[in-house]
Amino acid sequence: MPAIAKRLNFDKGKRRLLHSWLSIIPVLIILLAIRAYPIVVAFKMSFTNWDGLFQQNFIGFSNYIHLFKNINFWIALRNSLVLLINVPIQLILGIIIAVLLYERVCGWKFFRAVFYVPQVISAIIIGYLFKVFFGLSGPFNLILSKIGLGLFSREWFADPATALGVIVVCLVWFNLGWQTILFLGGMASISPSVLEAAEIDGANFWQRTFKVVLPMLTNVLEYSIVLSCVWTFTQLFPFIYSMTKGGPGYDTSTLDYLIYDKAFVYGNRLGEACAIAVILLVVIGIMTVIEIKFLNKSNDWGE
Amino acid sequence: MSIPLVDDILRNRGDESMRKRVMLLLSLLMLVVLILSVTSFGKAKDIKLTVWINGRDSYIGPEEQKLPQDQWYISQCFRRFEQANPGVKIQMIVPPDQFEAHQQFKAAGLAGNAPDIANLWTGQFTFAEKDVIRPIDDLVPKDDLNNIQGWDTVRLGFNPHGKIMGYPCGEVQMAFMLYNKKLVKAAGLDFEANPPRTMKAFDEALKQIKETGVTPIITDESYPTFIIYQGVYWWMQLTGTKTILKECNGDAKFVNDKGLSTMLAYYNSLYKNGYINPDALTSSDSWNKFLQGKGAITPQVTSVLSDAEKALGSDNVGVILPPDMDGNILFKNRQVGGPGQSLVVSKDCKNPKMAVKLLSFISSKSEVMKFQKIQAKVPLRRDVTTRELGWKEGTAIFKIFNWSKNYVYWCDDQLSSDVVNIFDKIAPLTLTGKLTPQQLAKQLDDQVKEGKN
Repeated sequence: MPAIAKRLNFDKGKRRLLHSWLSIIPVLIILLAIRAYPIVVAFKMSFTNWDGLFQQNFIGFSNYIHLFKNINFWIALRNSLVLLINVPIQLILGIIIAVLLYERVCGWKFFRAVFYVPQVISAIIIGYLFKVFFGLSGPFNLILSKIGLGLFSREWFADPATALGVIVVCLVWFNLGWQTILFLGGMASISPSVLEAAEIDGANFWQRTFKVVLPMLTNVLEYSIVLSCVWTFTQLFPFIYSMTKGGPGYDTSTLDYLIYDKAFVYGNRLGEACAIAVILLVVIGIMTVIEIKFLNKSNDWGE
Repeated sequence: MSIPLVDDILRNRGDESMRKRVMLLLSLLMLVVLILSVTSFGKAKDIKLTVWINGRDSYIGPEEQKLPQDQWYISQCFRRFEQANPGVKIQMIVPPDQFEAHQQFKAAGLAGNAPDIANLWTGQFTFAEKDVIRPIDDLVPKDDLNNIQGWDTVRLGFNPHGKIMGYPCGEVQMAFMLYNKKLVKAAGLDFEANPPRTMKAFDEALKQIKETGVTPIITDESYPTFIIYQGVYWWMQLTGTKTILKECNGDAKFVNDKGLSTMLAYYNSLYKNGYINPDALTSSDSWNKFLQGKGAITPQVTSVLSDAEKALGSDNVGVILPPDMDGNILFKNRQVGGPGQSLVVSKDCKNPKMAVKLLSFISSKSEVMKFQKIQAKVPLRRDVTTRELGWKEGTAIFKIFNWSKNYVYWCDDQLSSDVVNIFDKIAPLTLTGKLTPQQLAKQLDDQVKEGKN
């Protein structure tokens, strides 16, 4: 490559630029092929009545208009937004557990493994376990009756509020290990001398945690929030499918479940499914920009 | 006789004897070619048929699936056909997912490489594939038309004169109410001698069962099983299939359908009165609970009957028809059912005549009788008797066999896919009253309108 650059009479800056471009081109091609191309195709198809095979007529904004007029779309969007509650719960619990593990509380090695176990279990299996556990005659209601709280036992998946609550619990349980390990990794990158200095200055455990450790974890926090929100919007399908199949009715359907429902259940409305995917992409984009801007402001302390 | 090129070569070489020898050799060669072509003329050219067979509810039983493929009934049936038709070779493929198989068949047809024969679902599911199916009106033997029932389910648009898109196959799958005799008897009822035939009698029976502390009806309604197996019978009885099809096409309104709202109101009353398991909306284990004796009645279909008899004992399992609605009804003493499976010939098939011959062979009486030894199912053939099948009077399967002569074809296979999708999804909400029948009807009308746009 340098030989080519020399032959082309490139100066140092241009040579560096050429070098950079040549280095990233392979990755760029792969990304364009597996990320950008499907997005462009989905965007194009969202303006058609594509059924996956024969039908592919341009119908303008009809898919979007139908969706916005359809109450089930709004229920799914509401559910996707409600399920975001799992993110702050995961973060708070993740940080608490990470701090405890960092401080090497009794049995920390055992708990580190225990908290991570759900991550290695298939989402479908976890969904099924929760479905059984919170079933009308399942263990949870049995426990409630045994401890004299039978009054609170109910059909948890029949009502959208309780069903979404159970799904949030399930998501937190599943992701807690990942959050903990992420924060633990962030804490490990904090220089011990910083903590030692704080200790010498007389900072106690709480002061060290809130005034030293957490502020230094802002970048990890930003990464975690963005990723968890995107995950909540796009990766809940196996949980919903195995727990409620989006029901009763559309009461627990999310946008990503609705994509599957429109595309592959009976109707083959792939054009409409593409429109939901585009809307989902826009929603995620807006949320991510807001999150990053908000977190960048709170990160100003380090600059 | 001379061949210019050979003449030239040999003249150039100036060898007359060699010329004669070459001519003799060429003559012999021509003779051999002639003999070979004459002998092969009488022999049929090899024909290969590729057949997709569903892995469930069709020709491959759950027990068979545990065996090597060559021991399955359908594999052996194909071998018998090959033996009866030398030169024919059948390749069987079992698609893993029945629903997806419909899509794949269409896609393969579009690409021009569809299998010769495919196993689809009857009704709208078969009609949706009409672009890649070869109609077989000209090839089906008259005997088959007379002796096999269910042709209406494969005639395009359910029109009695519509094109025949395939063979109805497998069995007449019937829906009914399966009940636990012991639990029903404990409530002081005898469904064998006195089955409830009116809604009032049915409600009274459910009340009596409930009073014994047993759940009268146990079902999973996240997919509206009770509605699809029983409720639609009342709906069709009150409204009529023609009107329902009109509603699906947008020529009539679901909101004006009194039959639909009456059926759904009754469905809701079952829940209100505590006649149905309280977790019906979300449960998925009602079948296991029924087999454990935790529910008296469950809406079911023929294919599970043997499992129930094994678990509860054949003397303890009974079947009843749904009661008939009161007032002006279009028919009575019938039940939902019909052939759910079809075998179709694709447009890509190069030997449709041989393909239909195979379908006719599978549906022949001798093959049906062989199939019955592997899987006891209600046959589609009219010329098979219960005596030939060895089914005794009074048994559940005997009753179902008699009902199968007079079924009302599956309502969900007649509805358009858009309507079925929304109906299956939200109809269960009317059970608990979360959705009123009117709200459901409006959503169905909206869906039809949306589909038309």
